[in-house]
Amino acid sequence: MGKIGRSAKDIMRNKVLLFMVLPGTLWFLFFSYLPMVGTVIAFKEYRFSRDGFWASIIRSKWVGWDNFKFLFSTNDAFLITRNTILYNTAFIVLGLIMSVLLAVVLSEIANKKLAKLYQTGMFLPYFLSWVVVGYFAFSFLSSERGLLNQLFGSHISWYSESKYWPFIIIFVYLWKAVGYNSVVYLAAIMGIDKSLYEAAMIDGASKFQQIRNITLPLLNPIIIIMTLLAIGKIFYADFGLFYQVPRNSGTLYSVTNVIDTYVYRGLKTTGEIGMSTAAGLYQSVVGFVLVLASNYIVRKFDKDSALF
Amino acid sequence: MSKKKKHFSLLLTTLLTISMALSACGGNNNTKNTTGTGGNNAAATNTTTDAPDTKPAEEPVELIWYTIGAPQKDLDKVMEEVNKYTLDKINATLDVKMIDFGDYTQKMQVMVASGEPMDILFTCSWAFDYVQNSRKGAFLQLDDLLKDQGKGIVDTIDPAFLEGSKVDGHNYAIPANKELPAQEVYRFNKELLDKYNLDLTSVKTLADLEPLLKTIKDNEPEITPYAMVKDFMPVMPFDYVIEKMPMAVYMDTKDYKVVNILETPEIKEALQTVRKFYQAGYISPEVATTTSVDDLYKAGKWFTDRAATQPMADNLWSASYGYPVVSTPAGQPYIYNWSVMGSMQAISANSEYPEKAMEFLNLLNTDPVLRNMIDSGIEGVHYEKISDNMIKNLPDAKNYDMPTFSLGNIMINYLNEGDPENKWEEFKTFNDSGINAPLLGFNFDTSNITNEIAAVQNVKEEFWAPLMTGSVDPDEYLAKANEKFKAAGLDNIIAEAQTQIDAWKAANNK
Repeated sequence: MGKIGRSAKDIMRNKVLLFMVLPGTLWFLFFSYLPMVGTVIAFKEYRFSRDGFWASIIRSKWVGWDNFKFLFSTNDAFLITRNTILYNTAFIVLGLIMSVLLAVVLSEIANKKLAKLYQTGMFLPYFLSWVVVGYFAFSFLSSERGLLNQLFGSHISWYSESKYWPFIIIFVYLWKAVGYNSVVYLAAIMGIDKSLYEAAMIDGASKFQQIRNITLPLLNPIIIIMTLLAIGKIFYADFGLFYQVPRNSGTLYSVTNVIDTYVYRGLKTTGEIGMSTAAGLYQSVVGFVLVLASNYIVRKFDKDSALF
Repeated sequence: MSKKKKHFSLLLTTLLTISMALSACGGNNNTKNTTGTGGNNAAATNTTTDAPDTKPAEEPVELIWYTIGAPQKDLDKVMEEVNKYTLDKINATLDVKMIDFGDYTQKMQVMVASGEPMDILFTCSWAFDYVQNSRKGAFLQLDDLLKDQGKGIVDTIDPAFLEGSKVDGHNYAIPANKELPAQEVYRFNKELLDKYNLDLTSVKTLADLEPLLKTIKDNEPEITPYAMVKDFMPVMPFDYVIEKMPMAVYMDTKDYKVVNILETPEIKEALQTVRKFYQAGYISPEVATTTSVDDLYKAGKWFTDRAATQPMADNLWSASYGYPVVSTPAGQPYIYNWSVMGSMQAISANSEYPEKAMEFLNLLNTDPVLRNMIDSGIEGVHYEKISDNMIKNLPDAKNYDMPTFSLGNIMINYLNEGDPENKWEEFKTFNDSGINAPLLGFNFDTSNITNEIAAVQNVKEEFWAPLMTGSVDPDEYLAKANEKFKAAGLDNIIAEAQTQIDAWKAANNK
């Protein structure tokens, strides 16, 4: 009784805050929680029923784990898992370093107008679709008319030499994503109390010392949160990046085939919804476990920075 | 901090309770809905079956029709006229929704899977796969409707179409009456042929093209001698179990043995020729990632390529490119499963008015007025008649440019300006000239080997384009590809195909 009374009181006291999270909550409810019912399709051989979607789900045959088999049945299973994880790790580590670096540099630019200009410039690629980025890359890498081959007089057939692609993929990803991520860190830097820097300056700290001893430590919590969230998506590859940018070139698959492209290529003609749902469920579950695990590790070292 | 944590967990629990309450509501609503529509459906079918003899003045129904092609600006305008006509003829109107070629398969997969209401939908061997989706239950089985409301269709179109498009002995869609066999031809840019006085009579195979390509390469540095895209595959003497997959039987097979084409001498020889072309620079070095050569066609900067033909195709190509194109056969006209199923309209399994839908399809395939209105638009706006059965496009035709082949029987269409009087006769002759491919009528059921298919599909995507376009050395990569195909389970697929083909052969006295 007392407990319920207190909870009600808590709700009353926080009603403004609760109201503010309501839109986000509803969004998650409708677009993330309700559709979870559909994961049952991963265990079914989905067949259409004339009475609509729910009837189709209920009447489809239960096949247990059969839909998951295609993910692990070939030698490619190792390759796609390795590619997905290694690329995402590189994206997380390099993306973090570059974004934080960029944010710090931007925050230190004295001319605020120019800083805004640079920021917008670096922000822009984030809004381009991968198809467009793919054509940008093609204009550099085309073997006949590409800028790179013309500039250096070389005759490299970029789209059939797999050895260059790990670098190209990572470079293109960073070019597109870093500007956007740095905005998050820049906002956090802007929120740091200016009096800290003033005190440091009076004590004679150099710019570099200020960055190392004030900016970075205060950025730490947001860095950890962003990284934990990124780890949750480590099993998801950015489909457009791995499909559009290498122009779906077969000879590059050893370094560009990731879980998402593998699933797409395997199922685009048969359209087995059960199997693609299974792949999605597998990715989410692994991501979920990884988030829990890395959060556990973070909590061990620094209790306050952990997500939960 | 600990206080903060408490607040956070309170928040979480609140969210959880709300979400549970809501999802429970949602669940309830949904079950109610499904039972509701189920009931409605049952009621609807009941009334329609009772209707014919009791109530002549029934309510007009609206049929939802999904079909392939770029959405047209004047679609609504034309449909207004079409609806007046169909309302009068069969007491039904149409709600036509067009989905562009590139999106059709994926969008339809999602819409059909989620039970989007629809009555009629386009399906074929190359978009929203007919055989697979028939087996998954996407379409209504039409055997009975064809005897009744669809009788006109049975009487009008070439019986080979209805026979060849049966899946497990039943019809699930109405094929368009059009060219029945598929024949490959080598096409040539005639201006270049004439300029260098090149002779086509000797061209029978890919290798025969070599001297011609060499002349062009040596004299016309701006021209791509062979305009090729990544889907290219040399003409091979095989009938494939699944198109563009390495399981096939020989065209002249007697024992119907399924072979792995990567292990045949024929593919090796053909690929060596393509490789030679590639190395000599007759093919673009980027062919393995090239999906379209439309820019070459538009600019006339190509010399030869290969295409599927139909009667009077040279005229069609010349008109569309704006310069003369000629062709010479690259193979014989064979009737394949996929050519029979090249364009079809099915009735959706969840259609509320299957009888009406069939009545409409019947009208579409037999009534020249309706067929031409849907195809060419409104007389005086999109076209004008220059004789009884010949029309000329007006400038507004560009606002209503439908893919003719996708909309049923093409042989009741008006002729276009410049077409010969005997155009449809020529089609019939062409259809009669077709030779049945060995696997015509056999539909591979992949449900036992879905895992292998998904894996093999990935290997195919990796090796097919580079190998077939000559971008890699066949001596090295054929073996590599074969090894990977086998690791992905190709032999299991071949064994399964063989079992099914043997059973089919025995059942059909082949």
